[in-house]
Amino acid sequence: MQATLTIKLARVAIVIAIFALWEMLSRTGVVNPRLLPSASDTLATLGDLLQRSSVRTDLLVTATEVLAAFALAVPMGALIGFLIAENRYFADVAKPLLFFAFSIPKSIFLPMFILVFGVGFAQKVGFGFFSTIFIVIMSTTTAVESVKVEHLTVARSYGATRAQTAFRVYLPSMLPVLLEALRISMIFNLTGVILAEMYASRDGIGHQIATWGENFQMKQLLAGVVMVAAIAMTFNELIRWVETRCSHWRT
Amino acid sequence: MQPLANVTPLKPPPRAGAIEVRNVGQVFRTRSQDVVALEDVSLDIKPGRFVVLVGPSGCGKSTLLMMMAGLRAQTAGTITINGAPIPQPDPDRVGVVFQEASLFPWLTAEDNVEFPLALRGVAKPERRAKAQDALKLVGLEGFGKRHPHELSGGMKQRVSIARGLVQDPPVLLMDEPFAALDEQTRMTMGDELLRIWAATGKTVVFVTHSLTEAVYLADEVIVMSPRPGRIVDQLQVSLPRPRTYEMLSGDAFGALRDRIWRHIRKSA
Repeated sequence: MQATLTIKLARVAIVIAIFALWEMLSRTGVVNPRLLPSASDTLATLGDLLQRSSVRTDLLVTATEVLAAFALAVPMGALIGFLIAENRYFADVAKPLLFFAFSIPKSIFLPMFILVFGVGFAQKVGFGFFSTIFIVIMSTTTAVESVKVEHLTVARSYGATRAQTAFRVYLPSMLPVLLEALRISMIFNLTGVILAEMYASRDGIGHQIATWGENFQMKQLLAGVVMVAAIAMTFNELIRWVETRCSHWRT
Repeated sequence: MQPLANVTPLKPPPRAGAIEVRNVGQVFRTRSQDVVALEDVSLDIKPGRFVVLVGPSGCGKSTLLMMMAGLRAQTAGTITINGAPIPQPDPDRVGVVFQEASLFPWLTAEDNVEFPLALRGVAKPERRAKAQDALKLVGLEGFGKRHPHELSGGMKQRVSIARGLVQDPPVLLMDEPFAALDEQTRMTMGDELLRIWAATGKTVVFVTHSLTEAVYLADEVIVMSPRPGRIVDQLQVSLPRPRTYEMLSGDAFGALRDRIWRHIRKSA
């Protein structure tokens, strides 16, 4: 998606306007500044927080949990999704069930994860994994279905082996859908891990944000929100950038 | 004119292949009934001939082509190409050209053409050289770096033909290759194909719905009827070559097309 300069400028203008409105509402006292600290104060606090080693440790803990959950959920989900899509009978049986499972809000299972794993690394990674794997399975199934029969026939007519078909036809056909899946999975994964941290944890940025909220430390709370939002957006944009580079693969 | 003359084939095949189809049948078994797609089809295609299969949908012409390509097994009879059966695809003997959607959109035109060679582990420089020759043969010199979405329908089909020819197989099988093209492009591509055929001397088997296209291109038209698919007529087209646009309105052309149409109307 190519945006013209004016469209890009308009986007920047909107972001600036939101921050300006935020600043103004707080400074003029239209909104109680104790409830809504100004944008400039929040950003200053964010700078301070990033200097603190305890906050950096929290970020590192969260990042480790997120990556661990991701590293487990993506390959496992992709494998399950692939096996389901490749077997007609299996697909017919499993697909509606997956849709059922996917529709359930994962958060209601969080107390069970705490009971099983206790409070700690395993509970948060486990819940992050659980929040992510269904979307990975479903996306992979879609990705496999996006492989065109014509392309498989072409490969077969030129004598492609199974491995060649996998790497030269399946993988490139699936890549655009898989990248999108990766991006959306990360949103679910991050949500899962941070939710688990906020609900019951001793460390991690989610735990820290919850604590700031409980203690009415609004500046820190908002700074935390901005921080997590920025990290999530950066990852999302990174994958989206790769996606646009192979967008014409879909045609 | 022999643009492929500087291409060294992997193992030198004859320039054109003979195809023999003997009492071939194909039955599709479904849960409720058996569908006879082809029944007792026999054909003899001499090397270097341009043979067109026509017939209404469901007459099994594409099925027959896929069996000649080794992409599908018949349930009765034998098919041989240059004397040997073709139980699975053999790119040394047969090149297949599909409809335009068969190009890989993530590969450039030249990478698409090189695809069959890449599968066999041909080294990059040799691959590139052969792809360039094939692209030149189909009139696409200088378009190798483009992706399929940057090419017109006709150009995509030229790439497909180049891909089918890149290994210099004695037989070229074409499954409704121009079906998705508009009328003008289709006529131009027909002339192009005849030029390429004359330059390479391949045996071509071409499947189409278009009667005009069939008569215009063919040495011989095989007319098929559906349910069960069988051959109802074989016409020798003795119009001189090169074929020209003016022939389309001639009496000889009209007579051949009418004869095919009467068969098809009967079975439709």
